[in-house]
Amino acid sequence: MTRRDVIAALHEAVALVLPHVGAEEIRMDRNLEQLGADSVDRIEILVGMTQRLGVQRPLSSFATVPDIGALIDMLVSEAGR
Amino acid sequence: MSASELGIGIEDLNVYLGCLKVPVRSFFQARGLDERRYGNLQMQDRSIALPHEDPVTHAVNAAKPIVDALGDAERASIEVLVTASESGVDMSKSIASYVHRYLGLSGRCRLLEVKQACFATTGAVQLASGYLASGISPGARALVIGTDVAIVNERAQYAEPTIGTGAAALLLGPRPRVFHPDHGAFGNHSFETMDSARPRPDFEIADVDGSLFAYLDCLDRSFAAYADRVEGVDFERTFDYLAFHTPFVGLVKAAHRKMMRSTGADPGQVAADYERRVAPSLVYPGQVGNLCSASVYLALASIIDSGNFDEGTRVGLFSYGSGCSSEFFSGRIDMESKRTLAKHRIAQRLADRIEITFEQYERLLEENMKCLVPVADRVLETAPYDALLDRIPDRDPMLVLKRIRHFHREYDWV
Repeated sequence: MTRRDVIAALHEAVALVLPHVGAEEIRMDRNLEQLGADSVDRIEILVGMTQRLGVQRPLSSFATVPDIGALIDMLVSEAGR
Repeated sequence: MSASELGIGIEDLNVYLGCLKVPVRSFFQARGLDERRYGNLQMQDRSIALPHEDPVTHAVNAAKPIVDALGDAERASIEVLVTASESGVDMSKSIASYVHRYLGLSGRCRLLEVKQACFATTGAVQLASGYLASGISPGARALVIGTDVAIVNERAQYAEPTIGTGAAALLLGPRPRVFHPDHGAFGNHSFETMDSARPRPDFEIADVDGSLFAYLDCLDRSFAAYADRVEGVDFERTFDYLAFHTPFVGLVKAAHRKMMRSTGADPGQVAADYERRVAPSLVYPGQVGNLCSASVYLALASIIDSGNFDEGTRVGLFSYGSGCSSEFFSGRIDMESKRTLAKHRIAQRLADRIEITFEQYERLLEENMKCLVPVADRVLETAPYDALLDRIPDRDPMLVLKRIRHFHREYDWV
């Protein structure tokens, strides 16, 4: 699984949960809350991504990621295991 | 006789959910919260305590109808009284010691207070059930009470509208009429995390993502541990109803969706399954808020009162407490569960709560934030609230805190 696959999974999850958010707004230096995601939305986006990517890592380990870039990095490294 | 033949379970269950309520939507208006976030909370009302209520009065007011219905011999058979709380009133003296006094229980009784955030009641229920099932004291009963108060204000932001107040009392014994646990059917998952805590008696901290993600991890892992113990279990088919710890209704919905998606269910199946198996558990929690240690038992009461079922109905329960520890377990309910719970008129008592304005709530909040703060001496005035209490129809006598004298709490019935 490539970085491109992870980013595609993010865009798909965001489009499903936050349909009003344009693809250009999903920048690496922003976090999901800044996109307008509340706590339930953030669960939906993260669960959607991890299930689609087949990542088994506990959700708790994603709780402290500062921005979307770090989230992508974490998922890419996890998918490479 | 083996433990399973003794058939220890919940003989009676009652809740105390306060006398006042504030609509959750009013918090959004008054605090300037983002209205778009209201939808995902899925909460209608929040129960509010009066300043002369505390974890002791909540516990006693929940348990009194259960104890009053017992005969002398049954009352004397309560050998264990456990209060489970994250709202302790003293570092040493237990809430249970006060509860024991005001319930008039036998001196031949063990008193304990336990703490593990919102998991503590379930932990105590399991340990007490094990003690009763050991058979070393045939006919013995245990009374386990989860009791908590809210100590949040505007600092808590979106958590402020969701925190409840109240207690659930569970009488455990050899003649379960409310809930028959499936013997040996449980799974745990625990690990250390600082997802939420009460480091001071007037202040709590919460890492929103940390807490919600830990909840979801624990549901996943405790159910996996349950499935390792119970042959042939299936999340979709084994349980007729599901009762989860309910910090807010929207989280339970998200948790159910996560579990169902991992079974391959499509969105239509997930939504239908939610309405059928989960929604009945949320009728009461949605009107009360997070009942902390008692939360999952309010969800169970909600199923028993509002579910449409016959005999031999299986419920899967998930209990979670920050910090964190969790358990997935199961048991059966039947028409006797409905008849037993109906005596406590929970839906009616919820409907009888008095709705107060947000301005009234804020005035109470100032007093309620002092509830757990240790002071040597304090006198609680009940008269200012008589007019509110008088509006509640057919109100039962309730225990209230009258004063604190050299750190000792003194209560009376009004």
